[in-house]
Amino acid sequence: MKKSPMKLESSQTISGVDFENYFQPGSLKEALEIKAEYGRDITIAAGTTDLFVAYYERLHTIKNWLDLSKIDELKYIKFSEKNVKIGAMTTHLALKESEELKGKFPVLQAAAADVGSPQIRSRGTIGGNIATSSPSGDLLTPLLSYQARFKLETAGKSRWAAAEEFFTGPKQNIMGPKEILTEIEVPLPKNDSSGYWIKIGRRKALVISTLNFSLVLEFNKEKISRAGLAMGSAAPTPVRLKKIEEMLVGKSLDELDHRKLGEEVKKQIAPIDDVRGTKEYREDVAFETMINALEDIESRRG
Amino acid sequence: MAKLDVELTVNGEKYNLKVGSQERLLDTIRKQLKLTGTKEGCSVGECGACTVILDDKAVNSCMVLTAQVDGSQIITVEGLESKGGLHPLQKAFIEKQAIQCGFCTPGMLMSALALIKENPQPSKEEIKTALEGNLCRCTGYQQIIEAVEAAAEEWGV
Repeated sequence: MKKSPMKLESSQTISGVDFENYFQPGSLKEALEIKAEYGRDITIAAGTTDLFVAYYERLHTIKNWLDLSKIDELKYIKFSEKNVKIGAMTTHLALKESEELKGKFPVLQAAAADVGSPQIRSRGTIGGNIATSSPSGDLLTPLLSYQARFKLETAGKSRWAAAEEFFTGPKQNIMGPKEILTEIEVPLPKNDSSGYWIKIGRRKALVISTLNFSLVLEFNKEKISRAGLAMGSAAPTPVRLKKIEEMLVGKSLDELDHRKLGEEVKKQIAPIDDVRGTKEYREDVAFETMINALEDIESRRG
Repeated sequence: MAKLDVELTVNGEKYNLKVGSQERLLDTIRKQLKLTGTKEGCSVGECGACTVILDDKAVNSCMVLTAQVDGSQIITVEGLESKGGLHPLQKAFIEKQAIQCGFCTPGMLMSALALIKENPQPSKEEIKTALEGNLCRCTGYQQIIEAVEAAAEEWGV
């Protein structure tokens, strides 16, 4: 039954049923031990901007909470010669404001600036965005384009997962019951690179993407030496479009047939009809977006 | 489960509170502290009526567990007015007629305050971005943006 929007009072109040356990460890080590003990019976709270929507008026059904917000060792953006390492509890706001990220990963930064609203960006985290694994997660497409990998830790062990192997379905991923996502590592693109990001939605702010798109091209002289193309809300998971990437590599921008590439993008995605748009609409927008992206990059490179 | 002990500084005053583990910051502010200036609108982070300032950042208080923010500094709309009278932002909202029904106003004021504290001379675009998480369904945004511009000009911390 649909709740009346004119409800007098939220049922999510202080008189509700309390959780059984609320853990707020100050270190990753403690957090991993708690996760090892509870497995799937504990819910991780990062920025909680997705969680509170998913559990609207039924927060009490979550029995055990693992709140990572006090773990300062998971909040950082560290650059080295080869890559950037980002702590999982780094907020969208911190990504948006990082000067170094602006120069080296403009597409990721533009995506972070387009998430929700200032209120959402100051709480929501990159780790939460990844672990929630929504097909429309705004940071996920740039992370696919830049070929990021994610560090998954358990008490005593860790493994790395490539972004494109991580997502398995809508809000599903390969994480095991005892694992916590702790770090995101993104290799630095070559100095000569250009990118394009766009989020399509019904309005500019506070919107879940009807479609999002990121393209990163690296150049050697004027030839494309590497391409990273990804789209969100275009398939059951955010997807990297490798076939198109292959069509771009080795060519110079003026050798590309934009319309043909746009048509190919349409073929490579598998969108659905939902409240934010139809399959047909998404395919048409994907086509246009691919053309716009190439034109935009071409005009900026002169 | 037993209540959790938290210490919060709200509008400069320190409170030691016992909170339920599922208590949202919004509930603590409205029901325990009786500061009802902060409004509950959509309850899912889309309208911004419940915006407060948490450690210098605007947040939706409906999406934060009070237990998560133990030790934090919070400013609500009640923190604006002082013995000297209304805050420049409040005065500007009145002067520019940026209030009609008033339900979104406390949240708008908090988003504007967070902006001006960090960026005393914001451009119009920066004001629009700062307010993008606050919905208004009757006043119209133009007067609100003008009010923030006027306040920043006059006061710009």
